[in-house]
Amino acid sequence: MTTWMRRIAWWLNRRSREETLRAELQFHLEEEAREQHEAGMTDAAWAARRDLGNVTLLREETRTLWTWTLLEQLIQDVRFAARTMWRSRTVTVVVALTLALGIGANTAIYSFMNAILLGALPVPDPASLVVVKWHAKRVDFRQPTPESAFVLHSIDGQVYDEGQGSVSRIWPFPAFERLQQAAAPMMASFFAYHPAGRLNLLASGEADVAQGEYVSGTYFEGLRVTLAAGRPIGSEDDRVGAPPVVVLSSGYANRRFGGAATAVGQSLQINNRPFTIVGVAPVEFYGVDPSVAPDVYLPLHIGDVSPDPNYYWLEMMGRLRPGVDAARAQAVLSTAFDPWVAGTATTASERANLPRLRLDSGAGGLDTLRRRYSQPIYVLISMVALILAIACANTANLLLARATLRRREMAVRLSIGAGRMRVLRQLLTESVCLACVGGVLSIPVAFASMRVLSALVVNGRESFTLHAELDWHVLMVTLGLSVACGLLFGLAPALQSVRPSVMPALKDVGSATFSRAPRLGMARISLTQLLLVLQIAVSLVLLVAAGLFLRTLANLHSIELGFNAERLLLMDVNASQAGHAPDQIAAFYANLRRRLAAVPGATGVTLSHASLIRAGRSLNIFVNGKQAQGERVLTVGPDFFTTMGVPLLQGRPVDERDVPGRPTVAVVSQLFEETFFGGEPAIGHHLALELPTRVDAGLPAGSQRIDIEIVGVAATARYGDLRDRTPPVVYLPYGQITFPPITQMTFALRAASDPVSLVPAVRRVVQDADPKMPMTNVRTQEVEIDRTINQEILFARLCTAFALLALLIACVGLYGTMAYSVARRTNEIGLRMALGASTAGVGWMVLREVCVLAAIGTAFSVPAALAASRFVQEFLFGVESTDPWTFGAAVVVLTVAALVAGVGPAQRASRINPMTALRAE
Amino acid sequence: MATTTPKPGELLRGTLELLVLRTLLPGPCQGHAIAKHIQRTSEDLLKIETGSLYPALYRLEANGLIAAAWATTDKGKRARHYRLTAKGRRQLVGERSKWEAFVRAVRLLLDSAEETR
Repeated sequence: MTTWMRRIAWWLNRRSREETLRAELQFHLEEEAREQHEAGMTDAAWAARRDLGNVTLLREETRTLWTWTLLEQLIQDVRFAARTMWRSRTVTVVVALTLALGIGANTAIYSFMNAILLGALPVPDPASLVVVKWHAKRVDFRQPTPESAFVLHSIDGQVYDEGQGSVSRIWPFPAFERLQQAAAPMMASFFAYHPAGRLNLLASGEADVAQGEYVSGTYFEGLRVTLAAGRPIGSEDDRVGAPPVVVLSSGYANRRFGGAATAVGQSLQINNRPFTIVGVAPVEFYGVDPSVAPDVYLPLHIGDVSPDPNYYWLEMMGRLRPGVDAARAQAVLSTAFDPWVAGTATTASERANLPRLRLDSGAGGLDTLRRRYSQPIYVLISMVALILAIACANTANLLLARATLRRREMAVRLSIGAGRMRVLRQLLTESVCLACVGGVLSIPVAFASMRVLSALVVNGRESFTLHAELDWHVLMVTLGLSVACGLLFGLAPALQSVRPSVMPALKDVGSATFSRAPRLGMARISLTQLLLVLQIAVSLVLLVAAGLFLRTLANLHSIELGFNAERLLLMDVNASQAGHAPDQIAAFYANLRRRLAAVPGATGVTLSHASLIRAGRSLNIFVNGKQAQGERVLTVGPDFFTTMGVPLLQGRPVDERDVPGRPTVAVVSQLFEETFFGGEPAIGHHLALELPTRVDAGLPAGSQRIDIEIVGVAATARYGDLRDRTPPVVYLPYGQITFPPITQMTFALRAASDPVSLVPAVRRVVQDADPKMPMTNVRTQEVEIDRTINQEILFARLCTAFALLALLIACVGLYGTMAYSVARRTNEIGLRMALGASTAGVGWMVLREVCVLAAIGTAFSVPAALAASRFVQEFLFGVESTDPWTFGAAVVVLTVAALVAGVGPAQRASRINPMTALRAE
Repeated sequence: MATTTPKPGELLRGTLELLVLRTLLPGPCQGHAIAKHIQRTSEDLLKIETGSLYPALYRLEANGLIAAAWATTDKGKRARHYRLTAKGRRQLVGERSKWEAFVRAVRLLLDSAEETR
């Protein structure tokens, strides 16, 4: 301990100590000189000095006592590295930039992975949270068959396919009541929630739309959320007849009320019902689903709590008591749940496939984001990892080339007594310095790429809260990565530098000699070529991926829509949430449509229950007494076919006559006619529509059949997701269908010119019609389509960018290596030309090497790309992962790029003057 | 393997420190005088290389066996004077007995060789 203290003291005083030593030696010399002078020696000072020996060496030796030489040498090395880097600026810039791009891209993607796949809920002790799920044999709700009968009769939520079965988080309300009791000994708290969707919020005379979430009275307590202001929703608020209260998110409270404290106690109207704000959630809290952040939390019993045991909708989570493991809790809950759910089965086939309860970790909240993005993220991570590999190979190559140029310098150092370890350390310091510069530069690159990525991912999705931040862990990983890179690519050249015996390198004056260079260079050349082949191979893989995604995007864009998406403005309004009575909504919408039609610049206005791209509704429709399978329904207003540009083939469209009280009519799509009438004309035929007569406490009580006459046939147009097959569609007049009740409608305006220019006028009209009704989700049809293929666009853009980046890095590497090789072979080339080689021949010699490298790289890469592209098959549309055209195009692009990179060095080689080259020998 | 035969006057490794410590036993002394003292006392058999004296002095100082301070010599010049520390004194005793044991061992060996022949 004291020794260390003393050593530090020594080191801190090293300057003054050096001075002391100098003075002391001075004194010694004088003393000696005086003595020898007295003894009668001439030239005493010189003799004294000779006697003392090498003063500098003496100082050095004395100094090694000060034990901090390692540190001092490190500082020296870093200084020297900085000077070397400055001297060869081009190499430094190229290396630092490629590393910065490689590391930056990795950091950005890793940050996203961190946020999406590894992020924990911002609540205390998230590890003790569990999500309650059920799983069963595969259930297909889209194509139900008698064998696939299931206790789930109606649904509001998601059921996912997982392996051979289905899995889901939604439950009937009675199951929640039962499980809450059963969970008490195992769980400290048990709570439920259900997305309330978009709500109409009216506060201080201003209406807007907010994301809502119904939560049980135990929700905030169970999550242990400390509110920013006020109190949470408690069990006393969550019962029928309790005064209606809400908790706001911090963001919403700030936006609408100017702060958490001022919001508490204020009142607001939600869907035309008065509420009191009792609390505001903390800033970091975003609910339990990272993909949707609610703006308002409402007590569960404010909404309709259906007692139907076959209606699945409510989600549940719990917090395990300390020391209880999930498996035990699951067993306890299952014993309560299994007999109950068996009692809800109505048929034998339902009893054959009962849902089984399962507890999953809830630490990261719900897995909606993970389900959606984990695979794309793994694909992206692999890509950026490949880019980093290329960048490292490139750097190694450039350093290798430079190390060979510095062979003489190293030989000189070794010959005048530098230790091999010392030289090795110097070289490693240089490459680590280089990597660190790259690492530091990568931080702004990462910030920029994350901003771009966020914009691309969020693109158009409302209330999407992805909390991707460049956190310090990610930064540390990056810096570690860059230092590891430095050591990795610094080691090979460094070892090579100190290996050659000193004499030949010393004799070698500048350029390479014939006898030595090729033999000495053998190992290096093959390593260089290996690295180049690797870069070319990886670039090709990325090019193929980019090609596949670009083709996917092109295919999606060229999908036959069947309607005209140009100059079409869409927006949503919800009159029922604004307080319009159910029997007046149809008339209100009809009136609004007439008013919008008067907006200057609008050539057509219509409405439907959803836009064609987002629609997805099916009702019980019977054709010739048989229930139609796979059909879809769109309720529309007048002028629908003319406004959307869907040609009407026969009969008449839905128009102003089709109002409640008159016979119900329908227009069917041509596909519907083909599917259900086998090519016979559908006009004049009748459909039967089975609708529930009234809904009692969530339970349909009785049903009625409505007779519908087909009055027209329209050309087949897209309906629903672009990637799905277009279904047969029935278009029904929105006013004549009483179920489901008319709520939100999507208006479509065809504009004469730019549709966005109509927005202010449209907004005025809507406000005029009802100031309490906000107009939401205003978008053009083209933007809406782009949003649905968001992921494909994202992939295509990112992959293209990555592939170009990889190609650029590989070409820079190719260029640098070839240029260096030409410089090194100046003598050889000069001699060849002196012996009669033509200029073209010499240029071709260089290009041939490039071609051979590219060919070998391609040969390695094509099988690898074939194998790797299988992993992206599910992201592709209309193109096979082994598409020969894409592979061909990628090879061509790569070859051209390689040749372009080789042209410069080839020209330089052909311009070598034999005389100059040989004279240099 | 090449062997280096020590020339007369060259010191065994580690001996210089012992001699320096011994020289400082009577009282503080400066570097040049230490060298001269060793040379004189050994009747010029031991000649201290200046190039090894100062590293040795600094090593001893770094290990806390001697301490140094600037003082004026009797001729009125400023020089660095070294003196033994308590630790140095202990070290000297220890090293000295080791050295004597070593000398005794060497002598025993040499003498016994004479007898057996």
